Amino acid sequence: MRKIIILKPRNDSLVAQLESLYKTFINAKFKENLNFDLSLLDWVCPLLILPVSAYINNTQSNCEINNSSIKSYLERISFPEGVDSISLFQQRIQKHKSFIPISVLRKEAGASRERLEALFAERIYETLGNVSGAQNAVCYPIAELVTNIFEHSKKDVGFIFGQFYPTKSYLDICIVDCGRGFAATYKEEKGLKLSDIDAIVEAMRGNSVKPEKERGYGIWTSKRIICDVLRGGGFILISGSAGLVAETKKERLVSLPNFNWQGVIAAYRIPRPSGSLDISQFLE
Amino acid sequence: MTNMKKSHKNLAISRLLAPIVSSRDVIDVLEKAIKKTNIKLVDLDFSNVKFISRSAAHALLLMKERLQAKKNISFINTNKDVTNMLRVVAANRIVSEKQKPEFHPEKIDVNVLFKEVLT
Repeated sequence: MRKIIILKPRNDSLVAQLESLYKTFINAKFKENLNFDLSLLDWVCPLLILPVSAYINNTQSNCEINNSSIKSYLERISFPEGVDSISLFQQRIQKHKSFIPISVLRKEAGASRERLEALFAERIYETLGNVSGAQNAVCYPIAELVTNIFEHSKKDVGFIFGQFYPTKSYLDICIVDCGRGFAATYKEEKGLKLSDIDAIVEAMRGNSVKPEKERGYGIWTSKRIICDVLRGGGFILISGSAGLVAETKKERLVSLPNFNWQGVIAAYRIPRPSGSLDISQFLE
Repeated sequence: MTNMKKSHKNLAISRLLAPIVSSRDVIDVLEKAIKKTNIKLVDLDFSNVKFISRSAAHALLLMKERLQAKKNISFINTNKDVTNMLRVVAANRIVSEKQKPEFHPEKIDVNVLFKEVLT
């Protein structure tokens, strides 16, 4: 089993987390068993730690955390296995009050999965304080990005994790699946042969693989809410060998050579709102 | 979970599904519960439902259309946000208000992107 030393991000920006994530999985073969060494990390955010958790769960890979200075944090967030039931989630929250565990959403659990996701979303927006409209702004992207997993990924498991950083005054959220990704979805559902970059563009332009014309707005609107309503937020979307890095009025696509995430990673950062929020103008 | 009120069937969404209704596929759970009852008038009770996603609202409206020959489904006790979402999605289903999103991102080399981290 190949050992991968996860590099410490060079700063706390989302792009720095993306860089560490890229270097972690560069040259990894399809479903390769990896042994992740977290000893260099003294801080992590969801964009880096959740894909590693999802990968371990999906491939039966391993990790070494005993020599890590963030061992207790990793244990508190239930890394790497996560929790997949409401009772486990509540136990974890009772025990480690300010830490929200990695949540594993299983399609077959149906309404129980929905309640676990609701519990996660409630805990997340509570961390932002009592800000008018924050609930809608936080719930919308979570709901749309998670529902995409069960609609399109052809995988029955999704992973979600969030962390509020009170001293930095922002909230990071990551949603991951290890499914087929955008390009394979367009190919299998619509017969479109697209590169990973072009498939992200299609998804952002609202070109749904489903026939109803009013569908396909979920990712686009989520990005707008994060970057525009939540003023100063950042949004990253990765599928296959491509990524989108979006901020307010700045959207960039990047090819990720020798990297191939089987599925979709969506991660975003929300600054703590300073006033009331209104997503109604973005609803389509 | 369910209360019989004369000729009405009341289904409490927050208990049957969740207080935040997110996923499109979970509407299937609701559809099964509606089909199970032999009462024609069904009230979907949104008391304690804090949020419904666009996708779930869309799936819910499609389900209502599908079942309309057999069931008379009403949405009751919706809060302002849930009402707004259902209205926007229903209106957009009838007359699409907006064009598809304009999305023209810049393409950037990965090394250039990661160099930004240092600045």
